[in-house]
Parts: sequence; C-alpha cells; structure tokens
Amino acid sequence: MLLEYATPLTFIALGAIFAYSFYAVLIAGQLSLGQAGFASVAAFSAAALAPSGNDVGEVPALLIAVAIGMTLGALAAVVLGLPTMHLRGVFLAIATLGFAEAVRVVLLNSEWTGGAQGLAVPRILTVGMAWIALAVVAYWFWRMGRSRYGRALEAIREDELAARSMGIDVGRHRLAAFVTAGAVAGLYGVLFAYYVRLIAPGDFDFAAAVEGLVTAVVGGSTMFLGPLLGSGFQTMIPELQRAVGVEAGWIRPFLASLLLLVVILFLPGGLASLLPRRTRLPAASGDGNGAGDGNRPSHLAARRHPAAGETVVTLVGLGKEYGGVHAVRDVDLEVRSGEVVGLIGPNGAGKTTLVNMISGLVPPSSGRATVLGVPVGRTPVHKVAAAGVSRTFQHSKLFNRLSALENVLVGAHLVSRPTFLRRLLWLPSARRDEQAALEQAARCLHRVGLADAAGTRASALSYGDQRRLEIARALASEPSLLILDEPAAGMNHVEASTLSALIRSLAADGLTILFIEHNVGMVLETCTRVVVLNFGEVIASGTPQDIASDPAVIEAYLGTEDDEPVTGSVAEGTLADPTGGSAEVMAADSVANVRPGAADTLEPPDTTPRNAS
Amino acid sequence: MQQLLNGIFIGSIYALFAIGFTLVFGILDRLNLAHPAVFAASAFVGIELVERGGLSLWAALPIVFVFGAVLGLLIERLAFRPLKGRADAHFAGLISSIALAGMVIALLQWRYGPDTRRFPAGSFPDTRYEVAGAQVTLVQVVILGVSLALMVGLTYMVTRSRLGRGMRAVAENPTAARVLGVNVDRITAVTFAISSALGAVAGVLFAINVNTAQLGMGSAIELKGLAVIIVGGMGSLPGALIGGLVLGLAEVFAVQYIGSSWRDVIAFGLLFVILLLRPQGLLGARKVREV
Repeated sequence: MLLEYATPLTFIALGAIFAYSFYAVLIAGQLSLGQAGFASVAAFSAAALAPSGNDVGEVPALLIAVAIGMTLGALAAVVLGLPTMHLRGVFLAIATLGFAEAVRVVLLNSEWTGGAQGLAVPRILTVGMAWIALAVVAYWFWRMGRSRYGRALEAIREDELAARSMGIDVGRHRLAAFVTAGAVAGLYGVLFAYYVRLIAPGDFDFAAAVEGLVTAVVGGSTMFLGPLLGSGFQTMIPELQRAVGVEAGWIRPFLASLLLLVVILFLPGGLASLLPRRTRLPAASGDGNGAGDGNRPSHLAARRHPAAGETVVTLVGLGKEYGGVHAVRDVDLEVRSGEVVGLIGPNGAGKTTLVNMISGLVPPSSGRATVLGVPVGRTPVHKVAAAGVSRTFQHSKLFNRLSALENVLVGAHLVSRPTFLRRLLWLPSARRDEQAALEQAARCLHRVGLADAAGTRASALSYGDQRRLEIARALASEPSLLILDEPAAGMNHVEASTLSALIRSLAADGLTILFIEHNVGMVLETCTRVVVLNFGEVIASGTPQDIASDPAVIEAYLGTEDDEPVTGSVAEGTLADPTGGSAEVMAADSVANVRPGAADTLEPPDTTPRNAS
Repeated sequence: MQQLLNGIFIGSIYALFAIGFTLVFGILDRLNLAHPAVFAASAFVGIELVERGGLSLWAALPIVFVFGAVLGLLIERLAFRPLKGRADAHFAGLISSIALAGMVIALLQWRYGPDTRRFPAGSFPDTRYEVAGAQVTLVQVVILGVSLALMVGLTYMVTRSRLGRGMRAVAENPTAARVLGVNVDRITAVTFAISSALGAVAGVLFAINVNTAQLGMGSAIELKGLAVIIVGGMGSLPGALIGGLVLGLAEVFAVQYIGSSWRDVIAFGLLFVILLLRPQGLLGARKVREV
C-alpha cells in the first residue's frame, strides 16, 4: 500500500525540504531565488566527493554526502550573502537569481560534472529517510518560531528600521537566515541527487527555483507547516489528476496553474492559514497584574542604568545638512539622568532630525554627540539601542502582522536571552526565559493600559492604541533614555493627560525621557525642562515657567507685531528622513529675526567622567 | 561590424521586452511574471495570423499589439487587482502572475501543440542592404525601426500626455493621486495594457528574427529581461533601452570571443557587478527609503 505511493511521498518530502529553504529567508522578509544554485553546488560536490556506498556502507555514504552538501550550501550562502546583504526585495531576488544562473552555466561547462549529460549517482535515499530528513528540518523551524531569534526575524520582515531600533542586529540576523537557507537547500540537493540517480545542471534552473518559491508561498510563508502543505499540494495535484483520468497534455498544467491562482487569491496566508493558529497570551501569573513595577522577572538579562544626575546625552555643535539646507545647526544640549525634556518648535524646526541623530538613525554632518557613553553617528543603530536608548516614531512603526504582545516581546529583545538552541533541546531553562520575557511584555502592555488587547494584531488597533503600543514596546527593553516622537498626536485631552501621567510615572522610576510634542500645554505640565527649536537652532531652554514667558519662543510661535516671520518653507520633500518626519526646513535667511543666542541658558558642558553604576 | 549590428538588432528586442517589464515595475512597483507568457503567446498568434489569415507581417503587427493589450488587461484583472491592499501583495503578485503565465502557456499548448513553429516560407522580403561591409536585411531594419518607434512613442506619452502624467502621479503616490481625482484603477489597467502590448510586439519581432516560436521562449527571455531592467535601472525607460542594447552587444561579442556556452555568464556577471556597485542601475534614481 505504502510502497505504491513511495515515489510521490518521496517527492513531497523533497519538495517540502526545498520549500523550507525558501521559507528560511521569507520569514525574515527576504526574497531569494539563489537556493537552486546552493542546491546544485551541494549536489554535484557531494556526488563527486563523497565515498561510494560500497566502501563505507550506503547510509554512512549518504550521511557524509549530506554533511558535505549542507556545509557547501551554507558556505555558498555566505559567499553570496555578504555582498548582497544591502539589497532588498526584488533586487535581492534578481541578484540571487543571477548567481544561480551563473552557477548553472559554470557547472554545465565543467568537466567533472559531466556537463549537460549530468552525473550518475547511486540511489540510496528511501521514502523513510526522506521523511526523517523532512521531520528534522520541520522540527528546526517549529522550535525557531517562538524563540527570541524567530521573533527577531519576523520583526525584520515587518519593519526593518523599527527592528534595528529595538536592538536587533539586522545584518547578522539576515545573514543567519540566508545561511540556514543555504544549508537546507544543500540538504535538498544531496537528497535529490541520491534519489533520482542522474543529476544535470538543468535540474536546478530558474524553473526549479520558481517552483520552490511557489511551494513555500502557497503553503504559507509565515507558519512552519506551510512548506509541507505547499509541497503536498504541488505534488499531489498531478497525481490526483492522473488518478481521476484527466488526460496529459495541456489540461494538467492548466488546472494546476488555475488552482495555484485560486489559492493565492483567496487564501492570503497560504494553505497554512486554514489551520487554526494559537495566539499566545501571557499567563495570568503571580503578580496579579498589579502596578507592574518592582517585581521584575529574574530571568531577564541585567541592564545598567546611569545614576540620577549623570549625563545621558551630550550634544556639541551638532548639525545636519541636507544638500545645503540646514535641518539642524550647531545644537549644544546636555540631558541628565532623571530629566524629562520636552522638545518643541514649529513644524520643520528640526526636532525629528535631532532625535533621529540622537538615536543613531541619521548621522550628523557636523559636531558630535555622545549618548550613554556611545558616540552616535559612528555607531550602528542596534548598538545605540543596546546602550539603553529606546524610541517611538512620529508615524507608528509597529510590526503590523504580529500581535500586540508579540510586538512588545520583540521590544524585550535586548533584555531577554537567546532561546532558540535551548528550545531545540527542550531545556527547561529556555521555557523559563521565554516565560520571563512574556511576563515582561505583559507588564509593559499593562502599564500603558493595553493588557486586554494582547492578542490583537497591531494593525487592527485604533490609532491611539497603536501609539501606546509603541510606547510599551519601547519600554520593554528597559531603556535608560526613552525618546518619544509626538506621542500625543491624534489623542484627545483625556488621553493626552493620561499619557502625561504615564510619562511622569516613568520618570519617577528613574527613566530619562526626551520627547517631541506639539501639545504645548501637555509639554509644560509634564517636563522638567523644555528646549525650543526653530529653524534648526535652539532658541530657548529652561523650566516650563521660563519658556512660557520667553519672548523668543512667543515670537517663534506667534510672530511679532511689526515683523511677520516668513512662513514659506524650502520644498525639500525628497530629504532622506528615515522616520518620514516632516523634513521641510524654513528658508535659512528668514531666521534673521530670531536670536540664536537664546541658547545661553544652557548649563556648561559637564566634563566629569561618566562612571557606570 | 556585422556583430555590432546583430547585437543592436537583438538588443532592441530585449529592450522592447524589458520596457514592458519595467513600465509596470516603475509605475506600480510590481513585477509581472506573466509578461514572458505574453511574449510567447503573441509569437504564436503572429505566426497564425500570417499562416492562416494570410496577412502580411506588417499587417499582423498592429493586431498583435491589440492582442497583447487585451492580455494585459486580463492579467491586471485576474492576477493583480484582487490582491490590492494585501500586506503580502508583493510576493502574492509574483505567484499569481506565475500561475496565470502557466495557464497561458497551457492554452498555447492546447491550440498549437508542443512543437516549434515557423513562419511560412516566403513571408519575408528578400531585400538586403550593405552597410559598411555588413549584411543587413530589410526585416532587421524593420525590427529596429518598430522597436525604436514604440519606445519613442512611449517615452513621449509618459512625459507629455495627460495619461502619462497620471501614470507618474500613481508611481509617486497612489493615495495622493486618488485623492486628486486620478482614476488609479484605470491608470493601472492601461499601464498593464501598454506594457503587455509592447511585450507582444517584442515576441513577434523575436519570432521573425529567429523564425521560430517555442512554448519555452518566454522563460528564456525572462531572465534577460530581468537583467536588463536591473542594469538599466528599475523603472527607468531609457535605462531599459540602454540595458537591452548593452546586453545584446555583450552576448553577441561573448559568443564571438569566448564561446556560445559562456554567453549567459556574461549577462549575469554584468548584472551582478551592476547590482553590487550601483544597485539603482545605470539610469535609475536612488529611491529614498519610504518608511
């Protein structure tokens, strides 16, 4: 009975393994078509290098071949991955496709591969072995799903920049995903070779790569069972057609393509979306969802925070110029631990550009900035985040297809421990660490009042809830410096005053907060210090009371009676502002009626060395 | 000289095919992988028009143009419009257009069978010219002329006409375009129609050039089309023209000096180097990351 179906069953397993090599990168949002190249490098090398089954026994020979193939597949992925890491989307797909084609032509023209005739390989693989290999691969991706590593990959897929700001080293994660794809594709190549008896470079062409991609996407590229379902679907359709007596020729490919179209149009998540997906909710454990602070789970990695009064941010002569337009110029600013600094100013004053520089997203064009001991501008964003900076964005940058809780879990990346390898081995400590991260996330959600929405997709939340979710996500990394970019935008008075209370309570916990806001009333009631920017320069800095009566500020906001400030802005809509903040900058010459010297209320720069507490 | 001319002729066909590809990508940010199927289908239809319909080659071209436009409308309606607003529209569009391409190829197999087809003997005029010591046939001159005329017409339309303005508005920001009263759905459909019409003409010209049409001819040119639009710059029309000519010339000279079996390595080596050094392509504008 089973023997009768041995061939299709083996092909289902092989197709699924190949589809997993696409899944491995799709899960991180990368579209690669190079897997066929990895598979052919692996298949031909293993077939040429591995000892014959007569010398060492068939199964050991296959295992050696698999080891060779996976290693070479992974190596090929590193070789291709390092230079193409900066490519995205279709560009990456075409570059990797070019690689696969080049590999194919080279192999076709080489002596040792037998050229177009191909290479004869003994058949060793049985249906059982194929399914064992598939089970191992599927197990790998199953355990990856709910590990810190798996979450980081999903975060990169949803929003790369936000993932960086959460402290995820995007380059390393993407390369890891790519290497996994290479190893799995190598496994596929070797198993395929040891089943079909004769391999030719043409077996790993563009059509094969497209077939693998189609299988992964039809099955569902966001759930670990997807590739298996996709392969079953793709392999069984011709079999079923044959069984019910559909003639060969054009009808079979036509129906198969039609079904593919129907699946992709009507099942957005692929076949896997037919399966129920458990949403993970925080266990209602011990703390009774109380105030939330104080009982920090002990399984989180420790973070050091600067002591109250220590310098957190030092900006000296910081400036940013976009093609001759000064978005920010010559800003000196010092923020000390425990302060709540409000940053206000008219539209286009350079507020967002300034915080983008502080959080490491935009390199300054002049001056220098030190944040929590890190020289920003020369430090990658994730390292700035690791130093203790966490932020929200002017336009929400949530991981839209993840639940609210998962969003916050990604935020906890820096304080949770890597769990993937331990999850593979079912070590209880991985479970405890995951539990601790969940509790941390639940606490942060509770703190912003979103505990009830934990299982809701981020994209399904209301606008105000999305803003609060971003704050929860930023809090989850237990930052020393929290930067909020217009957190109250779009909120009504009640919500804004709740937010103000939240910010003050966070400050009471010792957090340093820098926030941009247009709601001046809220800023004045929340902050310990207010900094006013106009035309990229600091025009005032001081306590809320001072600022409220400062003539320069009033002038900047309202204009003076005799000299209306020019309100026209240089239309520089193409400025590279990674947060999409309003980039228009006032015409530089209209700054004449503002006193830049107002910045002299700043404290002198602190030169005492910063010692970690 | 002969090689140079051959490279230009084949390159102009690549360019015409790639312009259809890049038009959809540049304006709608979607890669339409059913484009090669249109290329193949139109070659078969063109041969049938000449063979059974008894039309001359030149009368067949406009009919194939219209046929391609209709196919383009179908592709947009069946494979792309239903995906509008989906988070995974990018991947899903690739797959749905691959599926549609599979259906088109299957239908071609049903109507024309799996074998290679040719134009009936005597469909081509025998006129030949001598240019600087190289042989040029009238057919080749027409291929070049038709390709250039279509490309110039397209460029004029995109930069000058009201429709072209709508296209560029949609490319810049579909939401804003809709708010300002641009009928985005109509622009999208028209873009697909024009793109496919160009791909269809490219298919017939290709079939005329080599006097064969095969079911697999689309996938052979698909990779080259992708290489051309990367080399020229995604979404750039002049870039696709230059990229097509560069690829045509590189291939012809690679065959001459290195050997035909290494031809495709040249194309993809070129592609790879361009991607690493200048990911936006020769003439592409670096798109500001929209985040």
